Amino acid sequence: MGLFETEAAKALASSAVFLFITVLLMAAAKRISTCIMMFSAQSAVMAMQVLAIARMRHSREAYAIVALVLIVKAAAIPYALFRIVDALKAPRDVSSSTTSAQSIFIAAGLILLSFFAVKPYAGALGVDEAMLAAAVALILTGGFLMVSRKKALMQVVGLLVLDNGIFLAALTTTFGMPLVIEIGVVFDLLMGVFLMGLFAFRIRDTFEHLDVSKLRRLRG
Amino acid sequence: MTIAINVVQVLMLVLMAPLVRGVIARIKARIQNRRGASVLRPYSDLAKLFHKEDLVPPSASFVFRLAPVVMFAVTVVAAAFIPVLRSSALLGIRGDFFILVYVLALGRFFLLLGAMDGGSSFGGMGASREVLVSTLAETPLLLALMSLAMVAHTASIEKMVLWTTGQDFFELSAVHALAFAAMALVAIAETGRIPVDNPTTHLELTMIHEAMVLEYSGPSLALIEWAGAIKLTVIMALLVGLFLPWGMAATFSLPAVAIALVLWLVKLGGMALALALVESSVAKLRMYLVPDFLGVASALAILAVVFTALMR
Amino acid sequence: MILVFVLLIPLAAAFLVLSCRRPSTVVRAALTAGALELIFIGGAAWSIHAKGVLQAGRYLRADGLTSFFLINLGLISALVLVYSAGYMRHVPEGRFSSLRWFYGLVFLFLFTMVAVYLSANLGMMWIFVEATTLASALLVGFYNTEGSVEAGWKYLIVCTVGIAFALFGTIVFYLAAVKSGVNPESALDWSSLMSAAPGLAGRRELLKLAFVFVAIGYGTKIGFVPMHSWLPDAHAEAPSPISAMLSAVLLNCAMYALLRFDAITSHAIGAWFSHTLLLIFGGLSVAVASLLMIVQRDLKRLLAYSSIEHLGIVAIGIGVGGALGVYGALLHTFNHSIAKTLLFFTAGNIRENLGTLRMERIHGMTRSLPWTGGSLLLGALALAGLPPFGLFVSEFMIFMAAFSAAHYFVAFLMLVAISVVFGALLYHFQRMLTGEPEKPSVQTKLQAFEFATIGICAVCLLVLGLHIPATLAALLRGAAAVIQ
Repeated sequence: MGLFETEAAKALASSAVFLFITVLLMAAAKRISTCIMMFSAQSAVMAMQVLAIARMRHSREAYAIVALVLIVKAAAIPYALFRIVDALKAPRDVSSSTTSAQSIFIAAGLILLSFFAVKPYAGALGVDEAMLAAAVALILTGGFLMVSRKKALMQVVGLLVLDNGIFLAALTTTFGMPLVIEIGVVFDLLMGVFLMGLFAFRIRDTFEHLDVSKLRRLRG
Repeated sequence: MTIAINVVQVLMLVLMAPLVRGVIARIKARIQNRRGASVLRPYSDLAKLFHKEDLVPPSASFVFRLAPVVMFAVTVVAAAFIPVLRSSALLGIRGDFFILVYVLALGRFFLLLGAMDGGSSFGGMGASREVLVSTLAETPLLLALMSLAMVAHTASIEKMVLWTTGQDFFELSAVHALAFAAMALVAIAETGRIPVDNPTTHLELTMIHEAMVLEYSGPSLALIEWAGAIKLTVIMALLVGLFLPWGMAATFSLPAVAIALVLWLVKLGGMALALALVESSVAKLRMYLVPDFLGVASALAILAVVFTALMR
Repeated sequence: MILVFVLLIPLAAAFLVLSCRRPSTVVRAALTAGALELIFIGGAAWSIHAKGVLQAGRYLRADGLTSFFLINLGLISALVLVYSAGYMRHVPEGRFSSLRWFYGLVFLFLFTMVAVYLSANLGMMWIFVEATTLASALLVGFYNTEGSVEAGWKYLIVCTVGIAFALFGTIVFYLAAVKSGVNPESALDWSSLMSAAPGLAGRRELLKLAFVFVAIGYGTKIGFVPMHSWLPDAHAEAPSPISAMLSAVLLNCAMYALLRFDAITSHAIGAWFSHTLLLIFGGLSVAVASLLMIVQRDLKRLLAYSSIEHLGIVAIGIGVGGALGVYGALLHTFNHSIAKTLLFFTAGNIRENLGTLRMERIHGMTRSLPWTGGSLLLGALALAGLPPFGLFVSEFMIFMAAFSAAHYFVAFLMLVAISVVFGALLYHFQRMLTGEPEKPSVQTKLQAFEFATIGICAVCLLVLGLHIPATLAALLRGAAAVIQ
């Protein structure tokens, strides 16, 4: 393997660290824009990981996936979210039900939990334990964000993080699904974000606030 | 030869400290679109202060005059633990990272006593705030250093640096990344920079460190200011040494040492730039949010320690 | 080739409808497109019956199961299109809230569901199931009131999260297939997975993990308890024709997806694991939904919980397995969709005339709205599983299958739940039908369309209760053969 390929393999093996850091920073963030930037950073890291895999396996499809992830997940979706945050003119804070320090401890606990969860599977599947743990950690953190954050847009960010985790799990175990499927999944995500933004506007217009914990009219 | 280099290292840290402060202030000024004072300004400030009269409050005891001297001595001793040009330090012994942390704590203890001895209410207020910050900052600092020690299987800073130079740059270690994040946050708290404390504020209610030294003047103030600058430089050098030590001289030859010096200056400059950028872009935290800030650092440090077991 | 037409007609119709200006042209265009689609579906079903399997390119495939569900989709959507022509004529103009947007979105929704049925590839199927959520979210929130916005948001978020789990399950399936030596290019195609299924037996743990995630994921869309929290809100707050589509067709669509996965898993590692999981979900849904039906106050929420219960019965039918169980379950999806459509259309009538759907405020419908009251009574009897309506036949088949497979506990649970449902329906509907009406002899503002559609539904239910027509029986046999 050439120079870049060995380095690519090593960088790939250690890049799970960056994902853990984005998870922790996202849990500790106090503003919506910080979370969106962390999501963009996460997607960029994942695009670099796909790039490393593309170099290692000389797969042209993988290069296309790199471009897809970079353009849509690292650029287009965060840009759209920033525009929505601006247009909503709502307070920019993340209304969280836990303080910053508690959130980061919970996120750290979720990371440890994901390590324990993947231990039995990683050896059998022959994949890097850290990367698979990072994928599960992303999924769990996405869920945690959706549950503990009360702003409508934060639920969207949590959903995006969850989806990132699933994408990473696919990447680690199978080195990516066929290109057509990947394109379809990302396109679905984009439409989903667009629709959720639309609904956020509607929530603000009908309810005069964006706090989803107060959407409790329908019960029982 | 080793001792000579180690002494040179200590002298470098002590004498360059005001320059580091000056550089950071200059960069901040440039970011704020001002021209800023010369980078050598802190030296002329110190010289000016040494010529002035030392005023002591009538109610103060000997502690008030002792505190600046102890503080200065302590930071010079702390500078002796840090490898700069070679992975060796003048006082490098086993377990010296513990000693480093508590030597700095000793200096801070005397400063607190001196502040309370001064008799003004601002001294007491600054002292109580400083104690809050330093208590919360101690845990992440020790845990981060411990995690690095566990990974390197050694207990002295110079050996840790030696171990890190032997690692491949591309194999990033999760422990190091987390420990760096934790220590960066703690560094900001320990050295009293934004967002924990504003070193240039003149509003007493926003002061932590400044409130403690409000009563000092003349040579005592000079010693305290210098000690603060040395502490900043020491912590920055510690971060550079622990996390970016590649390029340190392995031999005593002049070219190797020269390269090491240049590289070290570049890295320190980079750190200064990063600090200036952070200070210019973030607002100072309100006092009740500082525990949250340090709680984040604690979580990162705890995670670093746990990761030493996970990423074997 | 005919499959391409079936797929693209709704899409083309959506664009066509969106470009029309006047409401009357919109309605005419929609009805013609619906009729055209129905004809093509019928043609496709005919060719499938003749040839067995139709394949168009790499990504479109239709077999017996597809044709059965497509006929279901075609019939219900035709009825919905006709009913909406009358019901939605007073829609306020607004962003995404006009008659042409309504029909446009309905056709987009139809397109995504047809695409789910015609997918040859499990990944494609996932993409289009998620697309159904996206397409129907705007329809759920169509009225833009507080309740519908909240319902639409919850629907979007909960279903997207659930479907994300289904994606994870699909990925693990893919992983198991690739690790067992299936060519990665075709490791997501349903037909190649079915033929390679015995070879997947070596990856038991992976397949079990995958199926659990798929069941949770697609189960969220079906409305299994405990992932059902979005269902009562969404089905209650949507306009009545959309509620009918959601309950009658979308739930079936999600069940179709689950059935595909169940087929692969059963062929690979034996039916015990997947069928037990289906029995658990089915039993939970049946029990919880029947209990919650007693305390409902809104008519459409009551009907939504009834949908959860009936899809639970379908899951039980698949779970007990055997020829009778599967046949009964598939027949039950068909009967349930017709009965639900009838009841939601009736609810629409009630809303139009009496202005409210709170059951405590409605009294004496037999006197104020005789025909609507009659259809409500008919629907209630059908839903409770009484003869001579179709649901009785399918439920009875599932019972017999459960007893013959010795799943006594599940059969008992089902029996108790159906009795509870009967009691709840009787209690609620009796209050609505008898007594003094609040406004005597309301002038009905109904149109012929609406009556006609309800009448068609009622007739179908009666016919299916007495005798299953040969065409339907043939369709059912073909469908059951696919997943055996």
